Amino acid sequence: MKFRTFLGASAMLALTGASAHAADKDAADTAVEAAKKYAGATISIVWEAGLQSLDPLNYSGPKWEKLTGIKVKVVEVPTDQMFTKIMQDFKSGAGAYDALNVIPSWMPDLARAGALEPLDKYVDKFGYRDELQDIAAAYRDNQMQYDGKIYGFPDDGDVMLLYYRKDIFEDPKMKDEFKAKFGYELAPPKDWKQFDEIGQFITDKMAPKVYGAGFFRAAPYPQYMFQERFRMEGGKFFNADTMKATVNSDVGLKVFKQMLAENKFMPPGVEQWNFVDNLAAFLQGTTAMTISWPPYGRWAAGYGSGEEALKWVPKSQVAGKVGYALNPLGRPELGVGFDLAVSATSKNKEAAYLFIQWLNSKKTSLERVQLPYTLRDPFRVSHYASEKYRSLWPDAPSYLDTVKTSGEKGLLDLSLLQQDKYDEAMTKAISSLWAGEDAKAILDRLAQQFDAITEKVGIENQRAVYKVWAAKPGAYPQ
Amino acid sequence: MTLATSLNGAEQRRPSRLGRMLEDRLPYLIVAPAIFILLLVGLFPLIYSLVVSFQRITMTDNDTSFVGLLNYAELFRDTRLWASLGHTAIITAVALPLELLIGFLMAQLFIDRLPGRQLFVALLVLPTVISPIVAGATWRLMFDVRFGPIGQILSFFAGEPVRILWTVNPAYVYPAIIICEVWQWSPFMFLLLLAALSNVDQSQLEAAEIDGASYLRVLRAIILPSIAPVIAVACLIRGLDLVRIFDIIWALTEGGPGSMTETISLYTYVQGFSQFEISYTAAISFLVIALLTIITTLVLKRMELAR
Repeated sequence: MKFRTFLGASAMLALTGASAHAADKDAADTAVEAAKKYAGATISIVWEAGLQSLDPLNYSGPKWEKLTGIKVKVVEVPTDQMFTKIMQDFKSGAGAYDALNVIPSWMPDLARAGALEPLDKYVDKFGYRDELQDIAAAYRDNQMQYDGKIYGFPDDGDVMLLYYRKDIFEDPKMKDEFKAKFGYELAPPKDWKQFDEIGQFITDKMAPKVYGAGFFRAAPYPQYMFQERFRMEGGKFFNADTMKATVNSDVGLKVFKQMLAENKFMPPGVEQWNFVDNLAAFLQGTTAMTISWPPYGRWAAGYGSGEEALKWVPKSQVAGKVGYALNPLGRPELGVGFDLAVSATSKNKEAAYLFIQWLNSKKTSLERVQLPYTLRDPFRVSHYASEKYRSLWPDAPSYLDTVKTSGEKGLLDLSLLQQDKYDEAMTKAISSLWAGEDAKAILDRLAQQFDAITEKVGIENQRAVYKVWAAKPGAYPQ
Repeated sequence: MTLATSLNGAEQRRPSRLGRMLEDRLPYLIVAPAIFILLLVGLFPLIYSLVVSFQRITMTDNDTSFVGLLNYAELFRDTRLWASLGHTAIITAVALPLELLIGFLMAQLFIDRLPGRQLFVALLVLPTVISPIVAGATWRLMFDVRFGPIGQILSFFAGEPVRILWTVNPAYVYPAIIICEVWQWSPFMFLLLLAALSNVDQSQLEAAEIDGASYLRVLRAIILPSIAPVIAVACLIRGLDLVRIFDIIWALTEGGPGSMTETISLYTYVQGFSQFEISYTAAISFLVIALLTIITTLVLKRMELAR
């Protein structure tokens, strides 16, 4: 009797242990275990060329091979060619790519074309649903699915943040003078009127040593700022019933005029600034405010300054002096982002899926977003809360809190069928604005171009896609 | 006997029917592989593109059904296409004469055997060996409003900061492209014209000098007629290059501001490789081929007339 009880107890213990072990297994471990049967295989993944691809080249690719025996071939493609290459591979049926990095706004086109593999069955098979819940809602709810199916895992917490020089904003003399002139405290601007007043004030006081603000103004970046500001001021891209473009409304005109006027208190030639020009100016202390993606904040703090791959980043002269804030009006543009997806023409779909699950898992992604040389930004609730990440530099907690809040409030990029055409039209319109063309004429032309694209795509098709997009919580401010 | 023997010998030497056939067709057989490859890589894509231009293949739609002249009709409604052709014409009309003039003046300068002539000729030709995309990127840096030497030089002479947004300001964007284009390709004209000038009949020049003819008279009556065929060929080559201009503009302005400097090549690229309007792009290509064929034929006819 005692022996039977002992046996029973032992069996119970063994079962409990086994289930505890199973429960301990996270999505990364599950992916590794399942992938071992593909040892010796090679999977290819399309990744943005440059810094981004250092992650799979130097870190995650070799680590995955060590864990599973699966080799990873990284296909580096410049951002502006990624869509083309993915579509070319799909159209030709070559199956040259197994896993993909795709920009979420491309998802309607890629999913409708059939270029992406639906991932739901793999998510269930490899128990990944729980960990997906840890992805910040802005990305999870808006950038993961199309037509009710999962086509990609949000893997980059792109969002625009306002960076400002704390030393200037907290300077007592500047504070007093500013308050005396405008009647409110010198602090990160709450709206664009404040932004313009603060920017002009700092330029008047400190230029040419320091200008009030600097932005990237060269194509294609400013269209993200236009999208954000246009919606935050109450603009709608289309009439949802007729699908006629409404970008040329009074709101559009107001935003265009404001954007143009702001160039006057920014450094001369700001119209030509790209990502690096703007970064260099801010890091060298030439501009007191800027708006950009999260890497600016890390590099401004000097994080990763010893890295070989970051030698091109100017040494930060403002480390410890940078504050982080929400953009004026409080709902920043998410701006691009990346999803990990599986190519529908892949010959190694399951192995490719397991690789992206492992990459995107809580455990692996936390390591990846801390790699100083890549551009992956925190995108999981657990990333924002990570004690390790929060101790990387003195202001890291404030940085992560701002990234988190910005992500939660983030506005989605417009995402329609053939979105690249609308993007191109917006980009060209803004470059015409910098060239001095009449703002109203540009916006009217932009609306005509939008209408022509919509008509070509098919008004009914586009209306359906727009309806789905506009219903998302991050599409328009409530 | 002798005759019979010799006849027999001739009979023996005469090739068989197969041999004769081979001999007759040997030239064709020799060139056949080359022609086959040429047809494969040249004619087949052309015919295939023509077929595609009558279909409706886009990024998301593989519609290979015959749609007639739909894409060609759309060409006439596409204002951006005609604007891009206009931009191409402006650049060609300004850059080509400038290159010809500068090339000619340089050639005149170097026609005399000056000391160090060979070294200078080699140095002057250097821009033509640079890839146009590199030339464009380099000039973009030269024109940079903050760090570019052009702004610094102008500021030095003006005595105050000169901040010209060469690639943004509509008044300067074409001059920027043309400066870059002329800098790179005038040496090509120079080389051709230097060779042509070297072959002008010296006795005619000497006779004109003895007769006291002015330089302009000599230029008009002797030099230009002598080098006219070379000028025509040089203009044809450079003209066709200018119609195809892509790299320099892509590196300098990407067709901006707006679409202000978008040439036909840039527009075709955007339609084909960015927006995936495959069939429409094929139609654009055939429009360009037709235009170039007309221009080339006219130039060649004029050359015939000149001869």
